[in-house]
Amino acid sequence: MNARRLGFLLSGLLAFQLAQRAALADPLGESDALAWLQKIATAARELSYSGTFVYQHGDQMETSRITHYVDRAGEIEKLETLDGPRREVIRNQDEIVTFYADSRMVRRERRAARRSFPALLPDPLSSITDFYQVRRGGQDRIAGLDAQALVLEPRDEFRYGHKLWADLNSGLLLKAKMVNERHQVVEQFYFTQVNIGPVSKEAVRPGFVVPPMPARSAQPEVTSPAETGWVVRNSPAGFRKILEMSRVRRDGQGQVAHLVFSDGLAAVSVFIEPLPASRKVPDGLMHQGALHIYSRSLPDQLVTVLGETPAATVVQMGNSVGPKGK
Amino acid sequence: MDGELGRRESKAQIQRLEHDPELSQGWDTYHLIGDVLRQEASLGVDFQRRLQVRLEREPIVVAPHALPAQRLLRHSLPLAAGFGGIALVAWLAVSLHPFTQQQAPAAVAKAPALAANNVAAPSAPAVPATVQGAADEYLRAHQEFSPTAAMQGVASYARTVSLEQGDASR
Repeated sequence: MNARRLGFLLSGLLAFQLAQRAALADPLGESDALAWLQKIATAARELSYSGTFVYQHGDQMETSRITHYVDRAGEIEKLETLDGPRREVIRNQDEIVTFYADSRMVRRERRAARRSFPALLPDPLSSITDFYQVRRGGQDRIAGLDAQALVLEPRDEFRYGHKLWADLNSGLLLKAKMVNERHQVVEQFYFTQVNIGPVSKEAVRPGFVVPPMPARSAQPEVTSPAETGWVVRNSPAGFRKILEMSRVRRDGQGQVAHLVFSDGLAAVSVFIEPLPASRKVPDGLMHQGALHIYSRSLPDQLVTVLGETPAATVVQMGNSVGPKGK
Repeated sequence: MDGELGRRESKAQIQRLEHDPELSQGWDTYHLIGDVLRQEASLGVDFQRRLQVRLEREPIVVAPHALPAQRLLRHSLPLAAGFGGIALVAWLAVSLHPFTQQQAPAAVAKAPALAANNVAAPSAPAVPATVQGAADEYLRAHQEFSPTAAMQGVASYARTVSLEQGDASR
């Protein structure tokens, strides 16, 4: 799956929803807000830019430099951390390379499901507006640019509220904030400085030597869209399955079932992998910012549910995972 | 050959030899005669045929010639040392982050001390260091399909990086 294609699909979905909604009476300016969402999705894959941004979660803040280079061949993106240990992440059509400067480790991964995703596209996703009240907010200034705010308020407790700020001219997402039901910020990303416009290809080159793929990981790591034999019986309203696949475990030992659910904005992944009976583990919940990760063991399987949603969503889904047809 | 020609003469002669095929053939012939007269006569007339037969019976050893192999090694060693460190490390990175989470929830249960991070969601402890490798794997797999992450582009990897760096900061 390359980001361009995913972006294309997402904007396609947004366009579809937009068209659907535009036909209805629209006192809140919903269709306008949805048009902005589409603009953001398009800008994310078509614009070249570079800038500095902050990722804030809980009481932690991390600053990174980000560069997005686009040409006819596609997109190349680079993220470099500016504080803490130096990391570089470079993502292109085919792979994601991460460089850990402190330990001098390089990690290369093929990008998964490039071919399988479009073919797997399910029936149209539930409309975003069924689960979020979408409206256009005011105008604001972010990283020195005039920005349009968009507000997506969840209609239930199974998803976070989103507030997005997009560059008035280009539609580039300048700031994204997620809030919980008490309107506390759980996580936010924002540019402190950004230049929109052509960047040199040099700027997205790795600042390290990319070693050849080790023989073992040269095997396609993932991903065959497949019936995994697993089902989530009780997904919160709106979370519909958009993908089901089988991944090869990192250690090469067996398969992991991977099911992806989305309400059109947030996504939840469910992983199921075999677990020897001798290694029983208690259930557990963890979080980082908007991200919740819930683990639960079945008699001989480990279920892990991960999503940028409140804890209730991943727990409910994790607790209703079971083999199909029982 | 026998040192009777002067230096300049012999030089001129050798040059002629190089350009005149008839002369060089004559040179070859004289040398052959010389060889035969001295010691090679015992080889016999059908030496070439017998040699061929023996060659055919010889087992074929497919092995690099010792000398070239050494030379290659000598050349490539500094090169390998140059990025060998990183190449090895790529392998390590892969095996250090197994796609498994067997100890994760046990570690979660022991993590209540991290509650300071949980202003927004007091019920869930922050991701403990011991599971970051595994959680990171899941997050990477997840992000490729999340619409939210797609809007953020590679910025969404700040999450992954942060998850990994928790090791250092906690």
